[in-house]
Amino acid sequence: MDTNKILIAADGSENAERAIDYVTDILQGAAGFHIKLLSIEHLPDRDFFADDTAWKDACVKNREKLIAFLAHGKERLTKSGIPEKQVQTDYVESCHSPLAEKPDYCSRGTSIALDILHVAKTERFKTVVIGRRGVSKAEEFMFGSVSNRIIHAGSDCTIWVVQ
Amino acid sequence: MSETVKQILDRLYPDGYLGRLGKVYTDTSDFMRITGGDVIVLAGEHYLVLRDEVERSFGVEDPKYWVKRCRHLESGERRILKLVFYETFSLSMGDMKIPCYRSPRKEARILDLVRNDPRFMQGFPAADEAGNNVRVLYVVQGKRLDNWIDDLDVDHPTYFQTHLPGILEKFIVSCQAINDLHKMGEKHGDIRRDHLWVTYDTGDYVWIDFDYTFNFHENPFGLDIFGLGGLLLYIVGKGFYSHEEVRQLIDRNRKIPAIEPEDFLLVFKNRLANLQKIFPYIPDAVNQMLLHFSSGSRVYYETMDEFLQDLTTCLKQVK
Repeated sequence: MDTNKILIAADGSENAERAIDYVTDILQGAAGFHIKLLSIEHLPDRDFFADDTAWKDACVKNREKLIAFLAHGKERLTKSGIPEKQVQTDYVESCHSPLAEKPDYCSRGTSIALDILHVAKTERFKTVVIGRRGVSKAEEFMFGSVSNRIIHAGSDCTIWVVQ
Repeated sequence: MSETVKQILDRLYPDGYLGRLGKVYTDTSDFMRITGGDVIVLAGEHYLVLRDEVERSFGVEDPKYWVKRCRHLESGERRILKLVFYETFSLSMGDMKIPCYRSPRKEARILDLVRNDPRFMQGFPAADEAGNNVRVLYVVQGKRLDNWIDDLDVDHPTYFQTHLPGILEKFIVSCQAINDLHKMGEKHGDIRRDHLWVTYDTGDYVWIDFDYTFNFHENPFGLDIFGLGGLLLYIVGKGFYSHEEVRQLIDRNRKIPAIEPEDFLLVFKNRLANLQKIFPYIPDAVNQMLLHFSSGSRVYYETMDEFLQDLTTCLKQVK
């Protein structure tokens, strides 16, 4: 059992920041933990842009923002005393990204929750941490909820939902 | 020198009456200026503008300046031209505001995907001289489904027994069309009562207007499914029933079980979803399906496959 492996879903939101804060507080620099900060690339909708050049620019900005968020999260964890080599960051590219670098695994864009669980399963993370937005019932129906889907679809791991 | 409107009409539409001779447009960017009597030229074809399209709801007329009712001068047939208009706005659904975007490229792409599929409006994208992605649409010869149902002059029990099975059968075909769209990675985006039409010739149903898009990543098709739920409610009920209408039924000495807030739709809280309470002959499978969209529901449809499976059961129960 890799109970010392913790996967934090980090989408650049305040909820993800709370999840990182929570892990930082609870571990308090304790030794022996391996943490991965994971972002799944969520492309801006191509149809929101008049042409592909504008869309690609938005994709670049989106990526830069998330990679900066991951770096910032890593810094917070290491400052709390967790050795740097025990904190990883990972950015899973979208299969439809115009900046594609042909990774082994890419997100098909149909469910961020299932992408997160895929990484947890293949890399044997036993704890998955996610921040929760706190959406209404109607919003959940319409837009879906990553945290709820993780709760329902996750198996063989512990899930921390940080409110 | 390029032709004037008069010269074009003399050549292509000599017997047509026109009150105003306007201008010839090959660039449609400034669509507000283009009006009745103007001619739009796209890929060498001529479209005489008759008027702006108007959307009518709740007795209010809302002109859509970027949508032009036209006559295609080469064929003499009517066409609708949707000119490029980028618009970001909030779609109100109950208490929610959903950021929404009008996307010409999405609609153009879907028109290509559904070409020759009679379940969808037909047309094609054509770029004007400035590269604007204009959609040339064939007019659906028919009537909005909700108006068609409204015009059936029968009471609900008669409607339920006589008309509903046939309507449900055709509605299933329309839902399969949406499922096929989803499987191609596309969403309709604006499923509502006035976007499903009944054709005069075949009586088949046709989806129109798919230029809305949203940025939902965890449940990309949720809004479409919710829209279909609302339509199903309308179809089964032969209309929507508000608190007031339920109260009127009670006043007419109808014995109706107590109506609770969870009996109404999750999003539109003034539309009764639990129709079995006012129409007790509605079969359980049908009512259960409607309740999936109610405030009291704890489970939702995530895919069209699930929705269609239940809808097929409903059809068996009403036949």
